Amino acid sequence: METIVGKERVGEKELGVLFDGGKVRKRREWRGLKDTLYDYARWLYIMSILAKFIAKPRNIKAMFRYRWMANYLATPHMVDKFTMGLRDEALRIVHTSMDFVVYDVASTLDNIFKGDRRTGNDTEFSKRCVLTDENAMTAFMMGFPNVKAILREVPCMFVANLLTQYSSTHYLDVAQQFGLAGDVCPMPEAEAGVSIDDDFAVLGCCAVQVNTTCDGSLMGNGLIAKRLEREYGIPTFQLVAPMRHREPDVQKYAAEDMKKAIAFVEEHTGQKWDWNYYFDSARRVNDATRKRMAWLEINSTPYPQFVGAPFSLYNDTNYMGNCGRSKLFPPVDAKILKYAEKGYREKKMMAREYRHRAIIWGVQPQYCIDMLNWMVHCWGIVPLTDMLSMINTRMIAEDDTPENREQAYYDMAWLNENMIMRNRTHGGYKVLVDELWEFCDKMGADMVIMWEHMSCKALTGMHGQFEEQARERGIHLVWVCHDLCDPRVFTRQAIRNQLNDYMRTVMREEPLDPSIEILPDENAW
Amino acid sequence: MKDLKHLLYFENLLQSAHNELITQAQNEGKICVAYVCENTPEPLMNLGNAFGVRLFAPQTGSMDIATYYMTSLLCETSRALLERAIEGGFNFADCIIAPDGCTMMNRAVENMELLKTMGQGKSKFFHQYMEIPLKGDENGVQLAVLQCTNHILNPLHEAYGIDISDASIRKSVEEHNKVCRLIRAIGDYRKGDKPRITGYEFHVLTLATYVAPKYLLIDKLEETLRELKTRKPDGKGYRARVMVVGSEGDDGGFIKLIEDTGAFVCADRFCFGSLPGRDPIELNDDEDALTQVCRAYTYRSQCPRMMNMEKVYGRKEYVSDIAKEYGADGIIYEQIKFCDPWAYERMLGSVMLRDDYGYPVLSVDRPYNISSSIGQMRTRVQAFVESIEIKKLRGGEK
Repeated sequence: METIVGKERVGEKELGVLFDGGKVRKRREWRGLKDTLYDYARWLYIMSILAKFIAKPRNIKAMFRYRWMANYLATPHMVDKFTMGLRDEALRIVHTSMDFVVYDVASTLDNIFKGDRRTGNDTEFSKRCVLTDENAMTAFMMGFPNVKAILREVPCMFVANLLTQYSSTHYLDVAQQFGLAGDVCPMPEAEAGVSIDDDFAVLGCCAVQVNTTCDGSLMGNGLIAKRLEREYGIPTFQLVAPMRHREPDVQKYAAEDMKKAIAFVEEHTGQKWDWNYYFDSARRVNDATRKRMAWLEINSTPYPQFVGAPFSLYNDTNYMGNCGRSKLFPPVDAKILKYAEKGYREKKMMAREYRHRAIIWGVQPQYCIDMLNWMVHCWGIVPLTDMLSMINTRMIAEDDTPENREQAYYDMAWLNENMIMRNRTHGGYKVLVDELWEFCDKMGADMVIMWEHMSCKALTGMHGQFEEQARERGIHLVWVCHDLCDPRVFTRQAIRNQLNDYMRTVMREEPLDPSIEILPDENAW
Repeated sequence: MKDLKHLLYFENLLQSAHNELITQAQNEGKICVAYVCENTPEPLMNLGNAFGVRLFAPQTGSMDIATYYMTSLLCETSRALLERAIEGGFNFADCIIAPDGCTMMNRAVENMELLKTMGQGKSKFFHQYMEIPLKGDENGVQLAVLQCTNHILNPLHEAYGIDISDASIRKSVEEHNKVCRLIRAIGDYRKGDKPRITGYEFHVLTLATYVAPKYLLIDKLEETLRELKTRKPDGKGYRARVMVVGSEGDDGGFIKLIEDTGAFVCADRFCFGSLPGRDPIELNDDEDALTQVCRAYTYRSQCPRMMNMEKVYGRKEYVSDIAKEYGADGIIYEQIKFCDPWAYERMLGSVMLRDDYGYPVLSVDRPYNISSSIGQMRTRVQAFVESIEIKKLRGGEK
C-alpha cells in the first residue's frame, strides 16, 4: 500500500522511554497538555471505579479468598497499555470503550461477590443469578429483565490474563497435575484448573453451559458442572450451538434447544420470559450491529479509527456478554461512533506514518493483547479489524408479532451459534479461510497478521491452506505463534520478535520507532 | 491357545486401507462410502449397492506433509489420515461422509477436499459434512434424521442411484445386526476366568468389521465363532484383566503390547470398538427405520463430545458396568496424542473411575502407531499390571 504520512505529533516521540523493565511504566506519557490532562482524568476515573469496588467489605474479603483477584490491582496499567502513543480521537475512543469495559467487569465482580456463598452470601440475590461460561452468548437471557447472567469465568480467567501475564499459570499447573494433557487450549484448561482448585465464586440458582467455542471448551464444562451439581447443588443445562452454523438444516435443532434453555432458566429462577424486554434487547442488538458495521466502514478507508484490542474487547463485551440486555451500551456506542466520524473527517492518525493495512486473523494472545497498538507505533501497520470482531451482521426480528416470537428463538440460536471466535473457527473452512480473503479485498489490506494460537486445533488445522492461499493471492501473511495465556511457552518479546523478523528480513523495513522494537516487559504485569 | 484359523486372514485385511475385500466389492459393481467418525450410522452407508468403510492408516510412519498442513499439535489420527490421503491411499473411495464431530477430524477431511486427494477419475465423487447431535435427546434424534437424509441418503441416491427406501434401510440393519451379534458373541468369550480369545485377536476381528465390506466377512466370522466354542483356553491365567477405554485403536499393536506384559484385555470401549459400537439395532414396525437408527446412535453414543450431564455421568457408569460385566481388575484410559475430547474425558474418567467406582486406573496418551513409543508404553503398562497384582496379593480391594 501507499505510505500515508500524518502531521507532526505532539508529545513523546520515542515511546521506549516509558519502559524500564519494571511491573509498570516508568512514568505517564506526555501527550501535549490537552491530551495528557484528558488521559490523567480518565486514569483518575478508573481509580475511582476501583476505590468504589474495594470500599465494600465483601470485596476485600474476596481479594484474600480468591487468588485471581490480585490481578485486578493492575487494571489502570492495562488501560495504559492500550493508550500508548495515542492522541486526539483515537485516545478518546480507547478510553470511552475500555473504561466502560472496566466499569462493566467491576460491576460483574461486584455482583459475583454479592451472591458468593463465601463472601457476600446474599442468598436472595443469588437466587436471581444464572451462571454461564466465559464464551457464552447471553442471548438466552434477553427476555429476563430481573435475572442476572453471571459469566463467572470472565473475571477469573479471561480478564485476569489481560491484566497480568502470569495470571493463569498456577491454574494450568493445577489442571495438568490433575491429569489433563498439556497440549489442549490453555483457556478452558485454566478454567478447569480454577474449578479443580475450588477457586470459583459459588453463587446462582442454576448454570447454563455452552459448547462454544471449541472442543476444549465443551469438554471442560463436564468437570466444572460436576462440581457445581454434586458439591454445590447448582443444576446445570448444556445449550448446544451446532458446529456447521451456516447450514439451514441445523437451525431448528439450535432453536429447539434454545427453548429448552429458556424453560430451564424459568424453572429455576421462577421468572417468566418477558417478550417486551426481549424485543427491546433485540433492538439494542441491531443497533450495536449497525454501529459495528459503521466502525468497520470507517476502518475500510485510509483513516481507520476504532481498531486493535479495544475494538475487539469492546465488541466481545457488548456483543457476547451484553447481547442487547443493558441500556448502558447504546450511548457508549454512539459516543464512539461520533469520535470515529470526527477522526475520519479530520484524517486523524494513530501514528505518524501508516505503511501497511493488516487484517488480524486467528486468536489473540491474551497476555500480549496490546501488541496491535505496539504494531502501529513500531512498524506503522494498522490493524483494520480482527477475526473476533467479524461476527453477526444480520438484523434480528425486533417487532413483537406472533411470527417474530417464533423467529426469536431462531435469532437467539443464530446469535449463540455466531459467538465470537467460534463463528470463524467452526462451520467449515469457508468461514475461516475463504472469507478472510474477501475481507482483505473489501478493506484494502495488504497484510494478514495471523495469530497462530498453537493449541487452537480448529485454527491450526488450516495452517497449510492459509499459507498456500496467501501466497497465491500475493498477501503478506505473518505468522505470530503463541499459546494464548501461557507466557512460559512464548514470551511477549518472542511474540513480537516474529513480526520484527518478518518486517526486517522479508519486508526489509526499518521500524518507525526503534525504541520499542524490543520492550523489557517480561516482568511487567 | 491354538491359533484361530482365520486370524492371519483378518490381520492381512488390516495391512492396508484399500484391502482385498474392498476391491472385490467394487469389482462386483458396489459403491464404496468412506467415513471417519463412529457417529456416522453405518447401516445407512450399507444400503443397496453401497458399502461403508471406515478410513484408517495402517503402518503409518512419517506424517510430515500432514504436519505441514495441520501443524504438529493436531491429533495424530487426523494427521495420519490426511497423510495417507495425500499419498493416494484412499483413492478407492467413491465418496466421503464426515460428520463435524471432533474438530480435528473435520479439518483433516476439509484438507483432503481442498488438496483434491480423493476422487481422481470418479466424476460422481462427493464430500459431505454433517452435523451430529451434541446431546442424547429427541431433538438430537430429529437433527440426526435430517442430517442423515441430507448428507448421506440423498447424496447417495442422487449420485449413485442407491435405494434409500425404508425397506432398504431395514435390510441393511438386518445385515448390520448379524455382524454385531457375531462380534458380541465372539466377544463374550472374553468373559470368565479362562477366556477363549485374546484381546488382540478380538480387536483384529472387530476392526476388520469397520474397514471392510461387512457382507464379505460374515462367513469367516461365523466360522470363527464356531471355532471358539471348542477352543481350548490357555491353562495359565493372566496377571490382570484390564479394560481399555479411549480414542480409536487402529493399531492392534497397542492391545498386543498390553497383553505381552501378561495382562488380558477383557473389554474395549473406544471409538470403533465393540462396546457399544457392535450393539445390534432393534427395529420395530411402528416407526420408520431411519428414525430408529438415528435414535439408536444418538442415545447409545459414548462419544465424549456428547455434552449433557446425563451423558457425562453416564459414560463413567457405562465403563464401570462393562468392567463389572467383563470382570476387569483395572482400567486403562488411553488417548491419541493431541485429541482434545479424549484428553478431558481421560482426565475426568480416570479420576471418577478411581475415586467414585474404586477401580485402579492407568491414564496414558499414545501415538497413532504404537511402534514409535513401545518402550515407554510397555514400562507404564507393566507398572500398572504389577500394581494390580500387588493389590491382589495383599488381598486389597480392586
